Amino acid sequence: MHEPILYGNLLLQQKPPTLRNPNLNPNPNNVKGIKENASSLYDFSDLKNMVKDNAVIVFGKKGCCMSHVIKRLLQALGVNPAVYEVDEVDENEVVIELEGIRAGDGKQCSMQFPAVFIGGRWFGGLERIIASHITGELTPLLKQAGALWL
Amino acid sequence: MNFASTQFVPSRRMGICEPLPQIGMWSDYKENNYLDTSTPAILEVDSRFDNQVQFVLFIICMHCLVFFGHMLINLCVIYVQSEDTSHGIVEPSNKYDQEVSKTNDKQLRRLAQNREAARKCRLRKKAYVQQLENSKLRLMQLEQELERARQQGLYVGGGLDTGQLGYSRTTNPGIATFEMAYGHWVEEQNKKTADLRNALCSDITDLELSSFVDDGMNHYFDLFLMKETAAKADVFYLMSGMWETSAEHFLSWIGGFRPSELLKVLEPHLGPLTEKQSLELSNLKQSCQQAEDALSQGLERLHQILSETVADGLLGEGNYLPQINAALEKLKAMVRFVGQADHLRKETLLQISRNLNNRQAAQGLLALGEYFQRLRVLSSFWTSRPRESS
Repeated sequence: MHEPILYGNLLLQQKPPTLRNPNLNPNPNNVKGIKENASSLYDFSDLKNMVKDNAVIVFGKKGCCMSHVIKRLLQALGVNPAVYEVDEVDENEVVIELEGIRAGDGKQCSMQFPAVFIGGRWFGGLERIIASHITGELTPLLKQAGALWL
Repeated sequence: MNFASTQFVPSRRMGICEPLPQIGMWSDYKENNYLDTSTPAILEVDSRFDNQVQFVLFIICMHCLVFFGHMLINLCVIYVQSEDTSHGIVEPSNKYDQEVSKTNDKQLRRLAQNREAARKCRLRKKAYVQQLENSKLRLMQLEQELERARQQGLYVGGGLDTGQLGYSRTTNPGIATFEMAYGHWVEEQNKKTADLRNALCSDITDLELSSFVDDGMNHYFDLFLMKETAAKADVFYLMSGMWETSAEHFLSWIGGFRPSELLKVLEPHLGPLTEKQSLELSNLKQSCQQAEDALSQGLERLHQILSETVADGLLGEGNYLPQINAALEKLKAMVRFVGQADHLRKETLLQISRNLNNRQAAQGLLALGEYFQRLRVLSSFWTSRPRESS
């Protein structure tokens, strides 16, 4: 049993924040920048680094089948995407964080899960992935981001 | 040698007596042969032969002939018999008679088995017809109920308490609306296909052709919008294929046509393609296949998760409301799957039209329209085909 701690509140509280169960986030595949110590589990500012460090990263809700679809499609193209599974309780904070990363894109649509970042920039959800794959735009974009070398 | 008993073979097992053709032959033979009357023959020939030795030789020859004749007949009988089983019926004293009666019995057995089979067949047919009659009555009852409920459903609208009546199709206004709309859509589609066929045969400008193409494409996109609304009303209705004809449903994938399959169907009917177009079509086929596989795998994952969610906790405890609620959340993902599949269909149609000129696109749409028409006709022929009797 843990208590969700808002990022904002962290700065205000003087006592050390409660440690969460480190097993909550199962080891994601290929995620650079995930530190195994306690700090990253309640400090979502690391997400920024994750997005920057990974050529392709997929943020999906835990147990979501749509992010599984994206993962499978990218794998079929020869990409091994980083996958970050978001717990239900952390959802809102992660959304805020990710929208912060996105800020400055000029696009006004709200962030939904699953969310894909390519080359450090927000790309879209499953619909955008499918559409761009069919039109043939996806592969060159992945190559450009360094996710594909073929 | 007694042939008298061989003419009619009484069968204790069968309870019938029938003359056999072979015996008929033999009875004929019996009438004018001398085998039965060997003693008189000897007396007769006695006066004909002076020499005793000659007479004895003659008798020996006759016996040899009889013996060989007998052997031949035995061989024939053994050849005719396919099985070598004894039936426990009246056993004639003669070896030849035994074999002949064995053949008799086998034939009799076969006839009896035939009768048995025919009787069973008639019983089965009777039962089937009975079942059909019952089903017909039930169907008429259901149709009447449906009519009543539909009228009520459409009148009351969303106020109908679906909780008590169960989430049945007949009282789901969203689905009832979709069914009507889809019926109209199919009629429209057939009309558009016929118009397109005429347009392609006639002398039509490229501009007019392009408007035909746009119209045709938009009609498919209208269907996807209709399905999106229906999915929110009852996604399982769409997935079950109850709205499609049987052949269409058989070939369907996640509530509609499989895009890569469609491309394979269309390809030979687009007219001559440039090399660039062929290459792009081939790439498109591959991309579709990859997207379809990814979606299919996602669906499998959903199956797994749903099963785990329902079975979570102690099965058998009796209190499973939390599991049901959790599973309800998971089921909502189905709506997204159907939506994504339709999205893939739309994108595929758009992409293929980008790669083709107006005439090719028009021919493609015509081919597509007729392909689905054929499937619908196939389904109706299948439904109304004469059933083989059981």
